[in-house]
Amino acid sequence: MPKLIKERIPTPELPVEERLKGFVEVNLGYTLELAKKEAERCLQCPPEYAPCIKGCPVHINIPAFIAKIKEEDIKGALRIIWNDNTLPAITGRVCPQEDQCEGVCVVGKVGDAIDIGKLERFVADYARENGIDEELCREMVGSVKPKKEKVAVVGAGPAGLTCAGELAKMGYKVTIFEALHQPGGVLAYGIPEFRLPKDIVKCELDRLKEFGVEIKTDHIVGRTVTIDQLLQEYDAVFIGTGAGTPKLLNIPGILLYRVYSANEFLTRVNLMKAYKFPEYDTPIAVGKKVIVIGAGNTAMDAARTARRLGADVTIAYRRGREDMTARIEEIKHAEEEGVKFEFFLTPVEFIGDENDRVKAVKFMKMRPLEERDSRGKRKIEPTGETVTLEADTVVIAIGLEPNRIIWESTKGLKVGKHGTIVVDENLMTSIPGVFAGGDAIRGEATVILAMGDGKKAAKAIDEYIRKKNAA
Amino acid sequence: MYRITAKEELDVRDFFMEVEAPHVTKAWKPGQFVVLMIHERGERIPMSIYYADRETGRLGMFIRRHGKTTFDLWDNFNVGDSLYAVAGPLGKPIKIKHYGNVVFVSDAVCGQAENYATLKAMKEAGNYTISIQTFEDKAHSYPEKFLAKPVADEHYLTTEDGSRGIKGHYLDVLKGLIEKDKVDIVFGGGKLGSLKKLAELTKEYGIPAIVTVRQIMVDGTGMCGSCRILYDGEIRFACRDGPMFDAHKVDWDDVIKRDSRFVREQNIAKERYLKSKGVV
Ligand SMILES: Cc1cc2nc3c(=O)[nH]c(=O)nc-3n(C[C@H](O)[C@H](O)[C@H](O)COP(=O)(O)OP(=O)(O)OC[C@H]3O[C@@H](n4cnc5c(N)ncnc54)[C@H](O)[C@@H]3O)c2cc1C
Ligand SMILES: Cc1cc2nc3c(=O)[nH]c(=O)nc-3n(C[C@H](O)[C@H](O)[C@H](O)COP(=O)(O)OP(=O)(O)OC[C@H]3O[C@@H](n4cnc5c(N)ncnc54)[C@H](O)[C@@H]3O)c2cc1C
Ligand code: SF4
Ligand code: SF4
Ligand code: FES
Repeated sequence: MPKLIKERIPTPELPVEERLKGFVEVNLGYTLELAKKEAERCLQCPPEYAPCIKGCPVHINIPAFIAKIKEEDIKGALRIIWNDNTLPAITGRVCPQEDQCEGVCVVGKVGDAIDIGKLERFVADYARENGIDEELCREMVGSVKPKKEKVAVVGAGPAGLTCAGELAKMGYKVTIFEALHQPGGVLAYGIPEFRLPKDIVKCELDRLKEFGVEIKTDHIVGRTVTIDQLLQEYDAVFIGTGAGTPKLLNIPGILLYRVYSANEFLTRVNLMKAYKFPEYDTPIAVGKKVIVIGAGNTAMDAARTARRLGADVTIAYRRGREDMTARIEEIKHAEEEGVKFEFFLTPVEFIGDENDRVKAVKFMKMRPLEERDSRGKRKIEPTGETVTLEADTVVIAIGLEPNRIIWESTKGLKVGKHGTIVVDENLMTSIPGVFAGGDAIRGEATVILAMGDGKKAAKAIDEYIRKKNAA
Repeated sequence: MYRITAKEELDVRDFFMEVEAPHVTKAWKPGQFVVLMIHERGERIPMSIYYADRETGRLGMFIRRHGKTTFDLWDNFNVGDSLYAVAGPLGKPIKIKHYGNVVFVSDAVCGQAENYATLKAMKEAGNYTISIQTFEDKAHSYPEKFLAKPVADEHYLTTEDGSRGIKGHYLDVLKGLIEKDKVDIVFGGGKLGSLKKLAELTKEYGIPAIVTVRQIMVDGTGMCGSCRILYDGEIRFACRDGPMFDAHKVDWDDVIKRDSRFVREQNIAKERYLKSKGVV
């Protein structure tokens, strides 16, 4: 039994002054030496017991891949991860590990949990930088036996991409229909460069193409082509259209200039690269004092983006500090980068100047109650007292809901009350042969849950097509 | 990539362009628009459709040289070149059915395109079609072949200074037609200020009016909320729920204000572009 090392091997990070100068990735990740050291800390719990495996929504064999890192067999480690997760460079960076794999790691009970996310990311990055992933990819492509059946996938976010990848590995001919000009979903338009470099997303996408997946961009399903039409041409359809519609506040001043939804703000900056304006054509107007409303990952991303565009930034949240929903690392980075936090404030009005530009936000002060809601958060109530904070830019990050184009245009597709698509235990919708997963069925969730759905749906689609053929 | 198959000047400011986008022509219906990106670094800009030919898979558009993107498009993209992205069709189609006497009014580039496209479908649906097309003056008016004449049972061309056609605005001509009891429904597109007046006029006479609410867009799919408007007191997204709305329910003052959100940035981009071309 190796000696228990309680402290994590830290990953190097960019100093704060450097970060604020641009959009370079903040966490620099492990080197091989550091990764091996961190891997040494893992107690190698037996797979049938290892809590980390159960904590991971796609059940990666974590001790096994960590063991391979110790042996410097990165290809072996990657093969193990790919069994369950084809986008480790992404999940290693964006999973809320503290609530999943790392949250239940046994070492975490006496010291710091093993840094599973950073190790996973290391394997993916090292493999990519050294051509190992290509090698492994070629081996896998070589063993694919092509089938004649075709599957259409709607939406190129993590759910759609995973479903497409899995089906392609089984030999199906897969076409992805994506509304935007670039695939990736939130990975492309939402999560900023400094947290998830777009080159990495691109690499993962290129791999899909090697498996023969075709991606048709600029196709809005429901407008360009309908689900009914897809069903005539394809043997099955998977809907992974996410939850991309911003919730806005219908309060006075919502139409003022410089009141953005987080999606507009982040899409302008990330997907359209407004931070490089005028080298890129899409503009963004950001003032000196920004208020971001909300406290999830989206809010942290917007706040840290605004810091990089030179603004003084305050996050205003209606609940308390312990109820913030963002990943711990993002909150920590936001604090380091000088983002300020105000708690127990709910906006009631955006106040404009004579040019209809926002100049302040009026908030209702809230107070916490002892009672908790279904998610375990303390309920809050208004105090009746208001406070006004100055701001020349506001970003609203209070949540997202599924885009209604899909269900408005598809007869017979059953949706729940928040616009989420209703599915059975095999992720099949109310229309036979049409499956769905990711944020489209869950509302705002996570990348790894979307990928898990994509994978599960691929299996179900395979069974569905086999059954149909047998009948 | 989407190949440009025709390009022609319409007047001193607007031009006609045709591109190959069969995925769009297959599905397009009047009222719907597309989003273009001229190159990878470009902005996503919405455009109305003049025609969508299913046989050739080609889309016709009228485009105004407005700012950075549209200047770039006119200067540097020719027949045979390709656009980086053409997404669509976007938005909801309008109802094409028998209304009786249908008027389409327009006084700016997007409206002129929609004027032809809408009336063509309305005529095929058995309506009596009346087109009123307003231009500022002769220099800013289109050649005959690009007018909505062929699809209109009655066609009026007006210029605000009287240098071509009738002197005046479509609002004047429309008022006359309404008073002669010749109008069952009005469709319209073009300048937002005129559409506001159109809303007031038709409301006064109790005539329905369906018009294009042009707002600054990013994705055009309902994902960002940039194009939000107040409609009957509710937030609506122009790209997803429109762009054609019942003019009587639109909060016009806010729509007009939101259109100038990025004026400062637009001018930076335009000047930088013109400088790079040695124009200023
Ligand atoms: C700013 C931000 C930060 C986040 N940070 C994290 C994080 O750190 N960790 C984490 O785990 N999760 C995070 N999330 C949540 C996570 O990104 C989502 O849960 C995940 O992306 C959902 O994947 P998806 O494939 O279901 O949908 P999406 O990623 O939303 O992809 C859906 C795709 O479908 C396309 N589409 C939509 N409608 C149509 C249509 N009609 N036709 C064709 N295509 C269509 C969209 O354009 C999009 O590309 C974040 C979300 C946001 C917005
Ligand atoms: C539904 C709809 C249909 C349209 N149809 C046409 C058309 O048929 N022909 C045509 O010439 N123009 C049309 N437009 C407007 C067109 O999108 C703008 O002319 C174009 O974006 C200008 O870009 P620019 O860089 O050349 O000029 P900029 O200097 O960027 O802008 C000039 C003006 O164009 C408008 N505009 C700018 N960016 C956007 C944007 N992203 N989305 C919408 N409007 C914007 C604003 O009013 C702005 O003041 C339409 C807009 C909408 C919303
Ligand atoms: S996919 Fe996410 S939860 Fe699973 S092991 Fe990797 S980082 Fe942990
Ligand atoms: S629970 Fe922790 S110590 Fe045990 S195998 Fe998983 S990572 Fe290693
Ligand atoms: S343009 Fe983004 S929601 Fe309409």
